[in-house]
Amino acid sequence: MLLMNRFLGLIAIMTALAGSITVASAHPHVFVTASSELIYAPDGTITGVRHAWVFDDMFSTYALQGIESKTKGVYTREELAPLAQTNVESLKEFAFFTFAKVEGKKQRFNDPVDYYLEKRDAALVLHFTLPFKTPFRAKKMELEIFDPSFFVDFGLEKKDPIKLAGAPASCTMAIQRPSDGAAKAQTMNEDTFMNGENSNYGAMFANKITVDCP
Amino acid sequence: MAGTSPAMTSGWSVVLVCAVVLVVAAMTDASLHHALAQNPFGAPKGVPDSQVGGIIGWLLTKQSEFYRAMSSTIRAAKSDGSAVWTLLAISFAYGIFHAAGPGHGKAVISSYLVANEETAKRGIILSFVSALMQALVAVLIVGIGAWLLNVTAKTMCSTERWVEIASYGLIAAFGARLVWTKGRGFVRALRPSLPAAGPQLAMAHARASVHGHDHHHHEHAHGHAHAHAHAHTAHAEATASAHVHHDDSHHDHVHDEHCGHSHGPTPDQLAGPGGWARGLSAVFTVGIRPCSGAILVLVFALAQGMFWAGIAATFVMGLGTAITVATIAVIAVSAKGLAGRLAGGRDGSGALVMRGIEFGAAALVMLFGVGLLLGYVAAERVTCF
Repeated sequence: MLLMNRFLGLIAIMTALAGSITVASAHPHVFVTASSELIYAPDGTITGVRHAWVFDDMFSTYALQGIESKTKGVYTREELAPLAQTNVESLKEFAFFTFAKVEGKKQRFNDPVDYYLEKRDAALVLHFTLPFKTPFRAKKMELEIFDPSFFVDFGLEKKDPIKLAGAPASCTMAIQRPSDGAAKAQTMNEDTFMNGENSNYGAMFANKITVDCP
Repeated sequence: MAGTSPAMTSGWSVVLVCAVVLVVAAMTDASLHHALAQNPFGAPKGVPDSQVGGIIGWLLTKQSEFYRAMSSTIRAAKSDGSAVWTLLAISFAYGIFHAAGPGHGKAVISSYLVANEETAKRGIILSFVSALMQALVAVLIVGIGAWLLNVTAKTMCSTERWVEIASYGLIAAFGARLVWTKGRGFVRALRPSLPAAGPQLAMAHARASVHGHDHHHHEHAHGHAHAHAHAHTAHAEATASAHVHHDDSHHDHVHDEHCGHSHGPTPDQLAGPGGWARGLSAVFTVGIRPCSGAILVLVFALAQGMFWAGIAATFVMGLGTAITVATIAVIAVSAKGLAGRLAGGRDGSGALVMRGIEFGAAALVMLFGVGLLLGYVAAERVTCF
């Protein structure tokens, strides 16, 4: 009996070890407050997504390391231009953390345009537009903003984070924030958004936007 | 374990070996599955168990809380000196919780300790050396990069990426070496009737023939860097009385081909083979990779004119990390000790189990290194932009 207990104890310890190793991504090191706009053409097709990402003060300071400015603490758009270029180029590797789907089909983006960085108080704000490769008309579209590896934590602006710019009047929009408990429970059980299964930890914290244009 | 029949012991041993193999396989498999899931459109992954998710979620939340609190505390410390104490407290807590996440060398160090039969005490020391080394590297990167050379974040991030790759490569190489060493030990344990070689064996042989311990001595005296080999040599040269004492106490045992008694020293009498050099090499592989959170904190502190506070916070963070890593290391060593006692000592089938566990743990180290290099294993990888 004692032997059995010890044996089970050993298995428990090793399982715990195994669990602790395989579990979880690291916690986020960058915190972004996002607000985005879905851009519609006059003919009702969606042409792109325009983002405005506010970075947290610690990351903003880190990013500004080594960037020269005429006035200490004040950075003009021109002074920040090289950094914006670096950002945009690096973000490509991560698909700009923006994922769009129409009826299960992934919609691709072209490289960003109209991008610049501005310093707003202590925070860096990155503005950029992601044009869709092919503008499309869709009854229902799903847009997700998140980092699968959860190194970056994306949160939406508290008030009116998502706008439909130039959309037909009949379009409606629903936002699901990761802090919404119901949403989390749903993602853990169903995960219909990405290939039918939740393929990564960061997806549990995804901001999901659904746009219905009947 | 007096009064235990060899049959019962070997029965449990077989079960134990199977269990260990299963656990190692499961760990490897789980690591692969989890890591493959890093690609947003990659292979489907099982949904994390909501109960496990709860604890992990809590850990993540706590880590993020402490991390975010550090920037405001550093700002506060500019005007209010006492805020530095708060900063140190937060950093310490962050270090403890943060080390529970992937990275920081827990898995590599723990596996090494099991593979190389290290003591818990050495494990604790190695954990502290590793964590403090990581803190030092972070301070050096920011001190030299940002403070001295005023490089950009992009440069520092690239440096971090290269250091990561170097670390993972070193882990893989170190693991491969360990697999080679422990693999040989495992193979020898599987084949106890190999012919002897070497002078120390002659002396043992002479004694052995009197009590029919031939195979046992062969198994223990083979010259690769194994604790038992060293110990046995020492024993053979030691006082005859000690040796006699050993033999006397085992006259009652049934002598099967493995002889169920122990000639080796107890684990706490000597640390693993390879001495400190091997242990410190293990630590070096994980110690060179700094905590990316620490780098962000240091750059922020530097920009706020509080670099010294940032340095203090980083080392205190390292202390917290050390405690968590050491705790897990001790658990690993204890688990192995448990296995040893369950398997009925360190000879015969017991030795086979132990060599098997060690080989498995060595393989784990190598797999971690390879997995980390190829991106299969989740790690605190920096995202540079």
